[in-house]
Amino acid sequence: MSEPLHQHLNPDEIELWALGLLPAARALHLARCAACLTAAERERQLFRELVQLERFAPSAGFAERVMAGVKILTAKTVNDGL
Amino acid sequence: MLRTYDRFVAPPRDTATSNAGDGVIAAKDRPSNLTSASDQEVVAWAVRGHEPAFRELVRRYERPVFSLLYRMVRDRALAEDLAQETFIKVLNGLKSYRPEFKFSSWIFKVANNVAIDQLRKRGVDTVSMDGAPDAKTPDARAATALQLSGHGENPLQEAEARELGTAIEQAIGRLRPEYRSCIVLRHVEGHSYEEIAQMLDLPLGTVKTYIHRARNELRGYLEDRRA
Repeated sequence: MSEPLHQHLNPDEIELWALGLLPAARALHLARCAACLTAAERERQLFRELVQLERFAPSAGFAERVMAGVKILTAKTVNDGL
Repeated sequence: MLRTYDRFVAPPRDTATSNAGDGVIAAKDRPSNLTSASDQEVVAWAVRGHEPAFRELVRRYERPVFSLLYRMVRDRALAEDLAQETFIKVLNGLKSYRPEFKFSSWIFKVANNVAIDQLRKRGVDTVSMDGAPDAKTPDARAATALQLSGHGENPLQEAEARELGTAIEQAIGRLRPEYRSCIVLRHVEGHSYEEIAQMLDLPLGTVKTYIHRARNELRGYLEDRRA
């Protein structure tokens, strides 16, 4: 098995790096390995594109349509057996 | 980067039961500011029949739930029906909610199940942007391609073309549905691998595999497109 310094980063470690959480020992490998650095930068670019994706809104009146289907139980309705 | 509110502070258990247009919760006992309450607090108020608490849950989750479903089924009207079904199931089942789990995990779990059921009913495993992969001729591929051009379409189709027409959205649309939900839950909604495993009833290792494969496929699609 390779020593940590020479071992390439796995996908979990690349994700940690993109989040700024890669342990220093593995960051040392990244600093010296062009292949890992290229892979990590490509992955980080993808993460940035994904995190910027729009959160779409449903059409107007969505909450009203939902609420029309919701049965709100109160103590009174429970006591009345409804 | 989680966008939930998960502090747990239970509402008072015993209150007077004068009905003041708000179930049976006396005015003095109503929460003063639902928007700053945790999900668990809001759920606890909803379980007690506080109507604004239901609306607060819809307000918090309508966009993330609708967005997940829209990216899953890639049809605005259908996604809206499924989002409505999700909320009605969840809000009518609040009494079975277990506060040791995140409310967000629960609602995304229901939404994902609703989407997968729908895709199974339609017999659709993937929605190809380029036409059915088994089409024998270019004409057959064109006939089965998902149209996102925006020409001569109704306003809803034009909105879909605008919203799902970017390179990254098209790349997501090419993923298998199980990859699609995992990648959205992880990288758009910011859930942990463990939470996603719980939501989707999948082993942790499977979730990691799906997400790594999905990322590889997304990068491949995007690089092909840029080449």
